[in-house]
Amino acid sequence: MTLRQFLLRRVLLVIPILFGITFITFMLVRVGDRDPVAMLAGPLADRQTLATLRTEMGLDRSFWEQFAIYVGKLIQLDFGKSWESNNPVIVDIANRLPASLELLLIAMLIGAAVGIPVGLRSAQRPNGAFDQAARFVSLLGFSVPTYWFALMGIFIFFFKLGWAPPPMGRIGLDAIPPPDVTGSYFIDSLLVADWSAVHSSGTRLVLPVLIFSVIVAAPIIKHTRAIALEVLSSDYIRYARASGLSPFTVRRIALRNAFTPVLTFVASELTGLLAAVSLLEFIFAWGGMGQWGLNAILNSDFAAVQGYVLTLALFSAVIYVMVDIAVLMLEPRSALKA
Amino acid sequence: MSLLEVENLHTHFITRDLGNRIRVATALNGVSFAVGEGEVVGIVGETGAGKSLTAMSVIGLLPPAAKVVAGTARFAGDDLLAMSPATLNRLRGDQITLIVQSPKTSLDPLKRIGDQLVRIQKAHRAVSDDEARRNAVEMLATVGIPDPEQRARAWPHELSGGMAQRVLIAMALVNGPRLLIADEPTTGLDVTVQAQILDLLMELVQARRLAAMIITHDLGIVAHYCHRMAVMFAGRIVEQGKVADIFKRPAHPYTKALIASTPKQIAARGYAKVGGLPPNLYALPSGCHYRDRCPEAEAACTTEPPLVTVRDGQRALCHVVARGTRVQ
Repeated sequence: MTLRQFLLRRVLLVIPILFGITFITFMLVRVGDRDPVAMLAGPLADRQTLATLRTEMGLDRSFWEQFAIYVGKLIQLDFGKSWESNNPVIVDIANRLPASLELLLIAMLIGAAVGIPVGLRSAQRPNGAFDQAARFVSLLGFSVPTYWFALMGIFIFFFKLGWAPPPMGRIGLDAIPPPDVTGSYFIDSLLVADWSAVHSSGTRLVLPVLIFSVIVAAPIIKHTRAIALEVLSSDYIRYARASGLSPFTVRRIALRNAFTPVLTFVASELTGLLAAVSLLEFIFAWGGMGQWGLNAILNSDFAAVQGYVLTLALFSAVIYVMVDIAVLMLEPRSALKA
Repeated sequence: MSLLEVENLHTHFITRDLGNRIRVATALNGVSFAVGEGEVVGIVGETGAGKSLTAMSVIGLLPPAAKVVAGTARFAGDDLLAMSPATLNRLRGDQITLIVQSPKTSLDPLKRIGDQLVRIQKAHRAVSDDEARRNAVEMLATVGIPDPEQRARAWPHELSGGMAQRVLIAMALVNGPRLLIADEPTTGLDVTVQAQILDLLMELVQARRLAAMIITHDLGIVAHYCHRMAVMFAGRIVEQGKVADIFKRPAHPYTKALIASTPKQIAARGYAKVGGLPPNLYALPSGCHYRDRCPEAEAACTTEPPLVTVRDGQRALCHVVARGTRVQ
């Protein structure tokens, strides 16, 4: 099998998955007892207005008819319109996704940069003092809810100590948002050397990023430790020691063999985090896609919810394909090299 | 002076139980034996007798809970147990090499076998890439791997069990060792392959006049390939001597029972003679460890058994044998 054949097969496999997710989301948003027509028209609307609006929104048609229309448009990459903002869903997502990714990717980098070494160090001396401490921190990150971390962070660092800026958005009112290049205010303001915007957006990133890093690092510590323990107790490490290879070489063999499973884990964790970040965006009024998606769910904004879920699914699918390619290149046991 | 002289080796497993009390398993209780230059010594015994642990103690590769608490192991005069880890590491894989029982999982899965043969050479001596690679291919040919030039580029997962064991033999010989330790070298292999691998291994050992320690629970292997043998039970060598002597006239009751347990003997007699569980290493019986299972046990066996020289070079650790011969 060549790389191209593999990729083609892998990408084709994504299509039925996306279709299934589309169907399930489409069904689930319509099961709720909330009527988007009533919500949009407001409490004072009369029966006639409601009926007209319902026909306009297409909600008087049968479920299957609605689904067919939706899928038909989806194939032309038309995600529909948000009833809330009256924008095409795709425009809303494009506006907000960069804010989420900014938070997510920076936290992921910090979480992995801290979590992987901590997990490896933990495995060197299981049940030692360092390991005990690392496992406690990991358990904390696992079990304490995100919103509690966020609220305590705001309470201590903004309200009590005054170190953090107010948790209201990505940039202060006193700074002008930079021209859009990457979508990250921090990076974009760096690009145009607007130092007041750099400072304003940078300081606002610190607290949510740090809190999210803890959430991200917790499972990375736990899994890296488990993977490293398994590798260190493997036959090939024992044999490498028996062969008189230097401790440095033995460690390199261990790291190289732990690399692929750790990479796979971190990447698959990333797929869930785009959804997990929404609560944090909500609390910090971040204006990202997660916050927008949560709002859409609360408002029964059907097209927006569907667009949100599909984006999450697509994000996961892209990451999984990328992981597969990476594993193919790193692993001699993979089908391509045999 | 022998190449390897192990004297009074004691190794304990020190762990904690659920109540955090320290538990000590006395796994090796005074093991003494020697391997001369060019001599092949077989170490036999049931599971848990301490065969592998003896080897691992000697080359300093014990699991974290195990500690050598007493004894010496002199290799060419130097005590391996008193060496710095770095010094010992220089001997391992070079002067003393190991062949393990799980060849497929013991090779680094992410390196081609030729590269692994190069790596083990460069770890121990200054050798150019070209020369190391030539040696590697030559060694693969020596251990009977067809098309070695091509096969050097194979990944470990592409090898069969027998091929992988040949590669491990190549790894063990490529640096020209003086002592080879084979820890159940054929346990993981197909029966038809076992004999081929052992024949190959012993042929190479003899051709190079290597000293070797073969750990096995297969008496047939010992009878076929070894000069001398040591029988282990519960962390002690209960009998050792020339293979021919021991098979002809075993002295210790445990050795007698073991030899009476070969398939041929059992078939002739209709029942097996070795029964019972290995003794509890956390609470070994006083005196002779074998006395609870010994058909010849007597009152004296609750005291430490004496080491008796039965005949030239054949020694047994037993009261019953002592009554019949002179005590050393």
